[in-house]
Amino acid sequence: MNSIQKKILMLTTVILVIMSVIWLALTFYNYKTQNQYNEILQRYLSMNEATKASQLVITDLNNYMLNPSKDKLEQLNHSKENMQRAKMEVFQLRNTENTFILTNYINLIDNLIETTNRILMFQSVEDTEASAKEFSEAMRISNYISEMTLSLLDTELKTYDGFYRGIIERSGEVIKLGIWLLLLITFLLLVATYWFSLSITRPVLKLTQAANELSKGRFDLQIKVETNDEISFLAKTFDRMRININNLILEMKNKAQLEHELQQNKILLQESQFRSLQSQINPHFLFNTLNTISKKAYLEGSEETSDLLVSVAGLLRYNLKRLDRSVTLHEEVNVLQQYMDIQKARFTERLKLHMEIDDSCLHVKIPALTLQPFIENAVIHAIEPKEEGGNIWFRIIDGKERITVEIEDDGMGMKEDKMKQILEENVVQTEGHSTGIGFSNVVKRLRLFFGYDDVIDIVSGEGCGTKVVLKIQKIRS
Amino acid sequence: MRKIGIIILISIFIILSHFTLVSAKKVFRSDWQLPEINQEQSQYRLVLITKDMRTPFWDKVAKGALKQAKENGANLEVWGSYGNNKEDFLKKMEIAIHSKMDGIIIQGLDTEEFKQLTKIKASFYGIPIITVANDVPMSESLRKTYIGSDQYKAGEMIARQLISDMGSAGEVVLMYDRQQEYYQTQRLSGIQDVLKDYPNVQIMYAETSDSREQIIASTQDVLNRMPDVDAFIAVNAEVSGAMIQEISKRYQVEPYYIYSFDDGPESLSLLKQGKLDGMIEQSPEKMGKKSVQLLMEWLNGETVPLHSEGYYTEIRILKAMDIK
Repeated sequence: MNSIQKKILMLTTVILVIMSVIWLALTFYNYKTQNQYNEILQRYLSMNEATKASQLVITDLNNYMLNPSKDKLEQLNHSKENMQRAKMEVFQLRNTENTFILTNYINLIDNLIETTNRILMFQSVEDTEASAKEFSEAMRISNYISEMTLSLLDTELKTYDGFYRGIIERSGEVIKLGIWLLLLITFLLLVATYWFSLSITRPVLKLTQAANELSKGRFDLQIKVETNDEISFLAKTFDRMRININNLILEMKNKAQLEHELQQNKILLQESQFRSLQSQINPHFLFNTLNTISKKAYLEGSEETSDLLVSVAGLLRYNLKRLDRSVTLHEEVNVLQQYMDIQKARFTERLKLHMEIDDSCLHVKIPALTLQPFIENAVIHAIEPKEEGGNIWFRIIDGKERITVEIEDDGMGMKEDKMKQILEENVVQTEGHSTGIGFSNVVKRLRLFFGYDDVIDIVSGEGCGTKVVLKIQKIRS
Repeated sequence: MRKIGIIILISIFIILSHFTLVSAKKVFRSDWQLPEINQEQSQYRLVLITKDMRTPFWDKVAKGALKQAKENGANLEVWGSYGNNKEDFLKKMEIAIHSKMDGIIIQGLDTEEFKQLTKIKASFYGIPIITVANDVPMSESLRKTYIGSDQYKAGEMIARQLISDMGSAGEVVLMYDRQQEYYQTQRLSGIQDVLKDYPNVQIMYAETSDSREQIIASTQDVLNRMPDVDAFIAVNAEVSGAMIQEISKRYQVEPYYIYSFDDGPESLSLLKQGKLDGMIEQSPEKMGKKSVQLLMEWLNGETVPLHSEGYYTEIRILKAMDIK
């Protein structure tokens, strides 16, 4: 995972290797050239050495002849040895070009040595004339040696002319090579560095762009970096973060929506509560007023009116109190009785109510105001339109498993689609309801209360009455 | 765009690499052409010494000698002095002796110093000496042999040519060097031996030295003393240039019969200009060749002893008319 580091290390290593190769090559070249120079210099030095040695021999010889002492002789021998050594060194310098002149040179030195030896011999037998003659000969030979050195050096220069020029040319070429090499390496390094930096910065740039997009709030763009370094790791992590944030935001949005809905519902609820409170005031007042009127009517001797008013008040109170709680069937039947009293007062002989109630079933709990709307519906459809009036049957039958409540009339019946609407809890536009509680409402409440759908059934036909059947199971499933 | 960039980069890289490589090759190429160390010692070292380096005649001698030396596998160098410098010439000779050459081929010089060197020093070191072109008699120089023209015969030839050109009557000036070198006396005697048969031919001897002023002075002297002279023979070829120059100052050169030898520095050019009527042409290349060959034979013990009289090379007369 440390691949950027690896890359940097690699680049540095490559540069280092290149540098060291160049350095080594140049050092090697330098060493080689230095050696050549040294060799050439050595040649000249050894040649010069021999000449100097020969001159020294002459000087020592002269000293010895002027003053033939033992230490002078020793010195002479020493310089002679020196000359021999120098001769051997010069001998090493032979090559195809200078063999001839070098052999001459060496022979001259040999000759000088021989002559010196002859002088010493003459000196020992004190033949002064001969030794003086030989000495002048030795002088001449020494001069020849000097001259020969010059021509030897001259030959040397001629032989090595091309070589020297080559060296000069080459040293110029080294500078050129340096420049070219510098250019080449600079170029290569530039390209390599560019490529290298690109390999680092490109993912970073991608990442930056992605971050930018993210900061703008676009969480749906995938972040993809196809390298195998840390940046890619970073990108993956970043991408994961993006996905997480995305999910979180979605969740938050959902929550916000829910909360919003809840808020609205609350407001609606409050509103409706407020309304219901508001609407409660009038009924209570009305209810009290009705009671007062009932007492007043009773006092004035109109008992029937008083009873009617009591029924109305009871119905009203029931209506107000019991809307959202369960009541016993008994209470429901009582309310039904009161309602029917009012309706009887209204329709007199036209309304014939037949009640068959099994008293053992009256303890069963049902939602409040469930039976009254059906009766009301029966009154509206079976009694009101007919002048001769009609019959309404109300039965509570105790069954084995369930209690059946039937409300039957002999009216004109109910249309099929209307029946269906009622059973599917759709709002049915019905007119003339006194309690304002619709069928659908009742059906819904019944189903909710009992927890099963099969709680109501309507049997009806055109012109042959309507029968509403409530089926209340004894054992709650 | 990207493609163009890549192509440019690659081409830059190629160009730079190319130049770097070329440069590197030049720097690191290892053809340090040093002469090889020579281990073989068996080659004979010979030297050819002359007084007149860089004259056409001696160039030819050197050429022939070098060619032959190469053939025989000997090492030969040509030494010498310029412009007849005898002192330098003798010095070179002494160096050659002191350097213990295996053999010396030398232009003979009929002087005491030369004979001293050949007789005493060279034989002291046991170095064989061969004279070439100009001879010094063996009895005086102890040379091994002589290779060159038969100078006596050359004299005869030039004298005969003179007679055939001029006729059997006339005045002839023989100009020669005061230093009576052996080859010169040979030539003179050859000429004399021919001319003595023609009593009507008068001979006038003009001695001179080798300096230019001296030659001019002698020429003037001759012309003053013998205004009716018909012919000149420059027995020493080196004299001819200055002599003809002096004659031409006074008279037309054409009417005179002027003869010389080819071993002078100006001989050939004078002949080409028509100022010389004829000259003896020797065989310098042959001399060089033969001298090396004989010396090698002697050194290898193939021909011992060498002919003491010498080996003569061809001579022929070269007339100005032939060249034109």
